[in-house]
Amino acid sequence: MATADDTELSGPDDLDDAEQAAVENLLRRLADDELVIAERYTEWQVRAPTLESDISLANIAQDELGHARLWYEVIKNFGYDETDLIWEREADDFKHSTFVELPFEEGDWADAVIRSYLYDVAEDIRIRALEDSTYEPIRNRVEKVLGEEDYHLEYAENWVERLAADDESREELQAAVDRLYPHALTLFEPTDEELEQRVVELGLRSDPLVELRGEWHDRVSSFLESVGIRVPEIDLPEQYDIHVSPADLPEQTGRDGDHTDHWEALLDEMTETYDELGRDYASRIMVDDE
Amino acid sequence: MIWEVFRQEQAGGYHTHCGNVHAPDREMALLFAEVQHGRRKPTNSLWVAPQDEIGEVDTEDAKFGGTTDKSYRFARTYNVEPAAEEVEASEKELTEAERERGDV
Repeated sequence: MATADDTELSGPDDLDDAEQAAVENLLRRLADDELVIAERYTEWQVRAPTLESDISLANIAQDELGHARLWYEVIKNFGYDETDLIWEREADDFKHSTFVELPFEEGDWADAVIRSYLYDVAEDIRIRALEDSTYEPIRNRVEKVLGEEDYHLEYAENWVERLAADDESREELQAAVDRLYPHALTLFEPTDEELEQRVVELGLRSDPLVELRGEWHDRVSSFLESVGIRVPEIDLPEQYDIHVSPADLPEQTGRDGDHTDHWEALLDEMTETYDELGRDYASRIMVDDE
Repeated sequence: MIWEVFRQEQAGGYHTHCGNVHAPDREMALLFAEVQHGRRKPTNSLWVAPQDEIGEVDTEDAKFGGTTDKSYRFARTYNVEPAAEEVEASEKELTEAERERGDV
């Protein structure tokens, strides 16, 4: 197997089975996260506090769906089609973090604001770690994704600052942070330790998850504390093979396919029309991005 | 608070009024405008301005252009058919002369 220093992997033909498994592992996490958070965001459609914030969040959801598509396309080059990757996939085959599948409490805009803030910082960090990926189809999509993420971050930070300036709203943000933080940590949990190690060895991503998580924790803590929101103290071991103390993690991380009950309900809803119509293919109205 | 939004399609063009957004301040108004008025149509730049800060004078207060005929203000008033031919002929002569002198 190749090592990171001398590697340039231009496409599926350059990968042996073990390498392909590592690329797939990396991309399924990303693509599934983007797909599911977009699906959740759209629940705010016609329910956000104002027309403008409604349209902005819907637009962000469309961006995340677009990113999911970019990553699924790279996986499709290994011989899968969209029905395998989304429409006919078993619930426990999805590798997204449980953070993105949790439902919003009705009308809890503070949850949407905190969720998008925590997610967008994580997204910014993990996508930047792909800028020098040895796998060309990953590397050449990074700029496109980052180009849309700037807005997401600016928008989320703006809302956090705004709500934090008011005592009552700040309490709601705090409640959302306390509830969501353990799940947010699962964004950085490995799907499979061995595959995860291979991702870094191959140079598919520049840093191991544990480092990305450290960077994320520092960044969100310093920002949230600057606006008066406390971030839970969490035991963050340095060792690569030990991630977060299980005591700090929620019961389900999602990464191993073990999800909360909310996921099955959401997937059913997502695929309802596909099933109802008895489809066995996915309609396309656009050509794939290059 | 309402912010009026102006969109410029291409660099160098005018910013044209295209609608408004509700937002508590300029920062948020720009974020909202970016999505609401810049996501579908070609956009090079957006301006936002608080509605209250925009001055207005309309036909109730003003007689725009005055009340008497001042059509001479428009160059096209002189641009009638025979004159246009003369102008064209004169321009040709000028160009010819320039070429003969070796200026062009």
